Formats: sequence, structure tokens, C-alpha cells
Amino acid sequence: MVGGLFSFLRQSLIELGNLLSNLVPPRYFSWLTVIYLSLFSWLLSMLARLLDTTAFTIGLLATMSWIFLAIGVGWALEANKARIFGVPIAPWVSGAILCLFLFGSWGGRWLQPALVTWPLVSFAVIAVPALVSWDFSFKNPSPTERQRLALLFCLSLLFSSWFQFYFRIQTWVRDYPSLVADSVENSAFVYRIPGQTIALPAGVTHLTVAEELLREQVDNKPWPSVERWLLNLDGQRRVMRQRVRSQTGRTASLEDSLWQLDLQPLSNGDGYTLKLWAIWSGPAASPSGYYLEKTCLLMPVNRGGLVPENTPPGYSTTQWASLTCDLETPRLAGHPRGIGARDQV
Amino acid sequence: MPLNDLLSELGMMPLRAIAFQSLLLMVAIVLEAMVLRQQLRLGYRTSMQYAATINLLATSLGWVAFLAIEAVLPLSLRSQVISYVLFNRFYTNDWIDTLPVIVVVVAIAAFFITYWIKLQGLLWLLQLLGQKPIDTTPEAFEDSRRQRYERARRAQAEQQRSNSPRALAVLQANALSFTAVLVLLLLVNQTGVVGW
Repeated sequence: MVGGLFSFLRQSLIELGNLLSNLVPPRYFSWLTVIYLSLFSWLLSMLARLLDTTAFTIGLLATMSWIFLAIGVGWALEANKARIFGVPIAPWVSGAILCLFLFGSWGGRWLQPALVTWPLVSFAVIAVPALVSWDFSFKNPSPTERQRLALLFCLSLLFSSWFQFYFRIQTWVRDYPSLVADSVENSAFVYRIPGQTIALPAGVTHLTVAEELLREQVDNKPWPSVERWLLNLDGQRRVMRQRVRSQTGRTASLEDSLWQLDLQPLSNGDGYTLKLWAIWSGPAASPSGYYLEKTCLLMPVNRGGLVPENTPPGYSTTQWASLTCDLETPRLAGHPRGIGARDQV
Repeated sequence: MPLNDLLSELGMMPLRAIAFQSLLLMVAIVLEAMVLRQQLRLGYRTSMQYAATINLLATSLGWVAFLAIEAVLPLSLRSQVISYVLFNRFYTNDWIDTLPVIVVVVAIAAFFITYWIKLQGLLWLLQLLGQKPIDTTPEAFEDSRRQRYERARRAQAEQQRSNSPRALAVLQANALSFTAVLVLLLLVNQTGVVGW
């Protein structure tokens, strides 16, 4: 009975040993050792966090863990001769891990500094072993090596600039969101992967605000007062622009000054067709620019309920205004009042 | 779709700029290497390495300068830059009349600044590589102290003189590569190849 238990224990220990021997590095001086060191310091940092030690201890252990991870992964890739198109990827991966560690804890917009410095950090990963020997004394590399390093440095600076340029374009789009709604087919610089949902230009919001104002002012009002309202067109335009400015004031972006709101009534039978225009005067793909148009129909209607039953002859009922606006805001090239204007109605 | 979300998250990427710049850099490096090889009597490999280094240096410093200047431009001029980058054209605002002048002035300034950077870059590179000035012919090994002193003096004088063929070579190389790049840019804008 006891012997059976012992043999079982011995058997399982041997099995466990076999299992472990796959995980034990073949030599102590190998990448697996370094990865284990990284894991070990990570576990220690977890332990330190549990024991409520000082932030310095936790930080130091975590830092060591990250550095060992970068070295270990780089070493592993180099040992396995990982290449993409003949270029060794080990320093780039190590650089990426280091950048993740350096900037990942920042929170917020950490991706930008991380990506921008990635090529430079990777260059440092290549350069430091070539320039500094194990005992921290300066090595004097051969001219061939120096030439290679100079080329690599310039190349990593170029890559870094490209990343920086990408983020600069994103800043532009944040400042002028309506640029996204335009086509960049002609650009010699940027490319947008097709099939994306493209946001509406901000002018649509302006038109909606203008429509609300219009509804307040003329919808369900006596027709004569509407006619009077229409007489003071310049004043109404000014009020409309002011309203839009105060409405978008909270989320003001640089491009708001590039949108101009305009209003033009055209007589249409008994009533009017009101054209609301949001005119974009900023950068645009088409040479003549573009504008958004919202068409509203302003008509006098007789309120049936208000008419007395036995109307005496000559009694005219008060007419009321009814406003109906199209939902869509077609985007038209040119300027509604300019030379390149499309024919209006 | 998560992939589509990721793509729209990425937004506009300067992929065309990267592809186009790589192409132009290759053309410029090959042309400049040819000039440097002929003028300075270098080997194929050496001249390619030199040309690649100074061109990459000038290009990346150019990017740094562009990004720095773009950040401090007045808004109306900045939106013209945006218009050019995104739509390949300028739009009508206060600057539209002065823009051609600005473009020409900037291009000429870019030529001379690039030339200066390339010349300096070549000097730095030669110093970094511990090279003697390129024009001095290797002489027989001398032992005596006076001979070494003589040689040092001569080398110094020669270095001063040898600046001029090097400067001339870099100027020619720069002019050639700028011309080629300009012709390529004009051709592409003419035929609308950019619409790829």
C-alpha cells in the first residue's frame, strides 16, 4: 500500500521533471533565462504591490521586468533569425516593447509619443550594443559599422517624421472636421482606405440650427407678420448667424469661421421657397468650393377650424404660415451667389 | 465590423507621401551617387553609401523643419498648406495671390539649405568614418618625423583646397537630383498619375 503510493509519487515526479525540462533553458546564458528573469521580476513587483511597499520598489521591479522582456524577446527573435524581407526585426520589436513601457503608462494620448519615438528607440537598441561594451566603456566600432549606424540613424529619423506627419494630419482633421467629408482622391500625400463611413460636414448641424430658428420665427404665425419678417432679410440673416455661433459655441472648432450661413426666399405661387445655404469657404477638393442647401417651403394656409360657420361676404379669414423643410441637404459645387452658381429654381 | 472601425479610426494616412518619397529618394540617391563617384573618384559602394546618408539626412531634417514651421504658421496660411496636402490645390483666400511667390522662394531656399546640409553632412560623415579628405592620394608610408610633419602640413593645406571640388561635386549632385525630382513631380501632376 505504502510502496504503491511511493511509486506513484516517484512516477509523477519524473513526469513533472520531463515536463519542466522542456521549459528549462538549455544554457544559462540564453534568451529563455532573460524571459524568466522578466517574469520573475514581474511576479516580484506583483508581490510588492500586495505587500504595500513603496512605489519606488514596485516601479523598479516593473521597470526591470519590462527591460528584461525587451532584451529577451529581441534575443529570441535574433536567435531564431526572424527576418522580414531580409531585415532583422529583433531591434524593432525590442524598441516597440520599450516604447510601450515608456509611454504606455502615461494614459491619454500615449500612442503619439510612443509611435514617434519608436524608430529612434529601435535605433538606440541597435546602436548601444555597438557603441558600449559590457563593462560600460566606449567601444570604437569599425568605419563600416559607423557608416551603417549613420545610415540607420537618418532612416529612423525619416520614419519618425512620417509618423509625426500622420499625427499632424489627424490634428488638422480634428481642427477642421469637415475636411473628412471631402474627397482626397487628388491628394499626392494622403490615402484613405475606401469603404469607410464618412462623417457629415459640420455645415449640416448649422443648417439644422437655422431651421429650428426659422420654425420658431415663422411657423404657425399669421401670414402678414411672416411677410413682414421676410422684408428684413439682412436682419434675419444676421440673427441666424448669431444663433448658430451661440449654439456651436460650446464645441467651437477652427472651421466654424469658414462656414457661412445664407438665406434666400424665392416666390413660389402663393408662398415662398426658402433656400438655406451653408457655404464652405475653406479648403475643398473641387476648385469652386461647395455648399450645402436645405430647401424649405413656406405656404399660407387657411385654418379650417378658425373660420366661422356663417361667414358674411367680404370676410377674409386670417391666413397662417406653414413651414415644411426637406430633411436632406444636398451638397452642390460652386457658390450659390457666385459666378459658378448653379441655376436656382 | 471591427476591421472597418479600426480603418476609420486610422483615418487618412500619408501612404501616398511615403510611397512617393521613397521613389524620389531612390532616384535622387542613384543620381547623386553617380555624380559623387565621377567627381570624387569613389567606389560604387562608397558613393552609394555617402549619397544615401546625406540624402536621408537632408530629407528627415526637411521633414522636421516642415513640421516645426507648419505648427507656427498663421491660420489662413496653414489652411492653404492643408488644402495642398489633402486636395493637391490651393483654395481662394487672402493668400492666393502671394502664394506663387512664396512657393518659388521656398523652393529656392530649400535648394540652398539642402545643399548646405548635404555638404555639411558629407563633412561630418567623413569625420565620423575617420577618412582623410577624399582628394588626397595615399602616399607611401614614411617613418621620419620631419616627413610626417611635412605631410601633415601638406594635408592641412590640401584639405582647405580640397573643399572646393567636394563642394562643387555636392552642388552638382544636388542640382541634378533637384532637377530630376522637379521633372518627375511635374510629369506626375500633368498626367494625373497621382490618381492611383
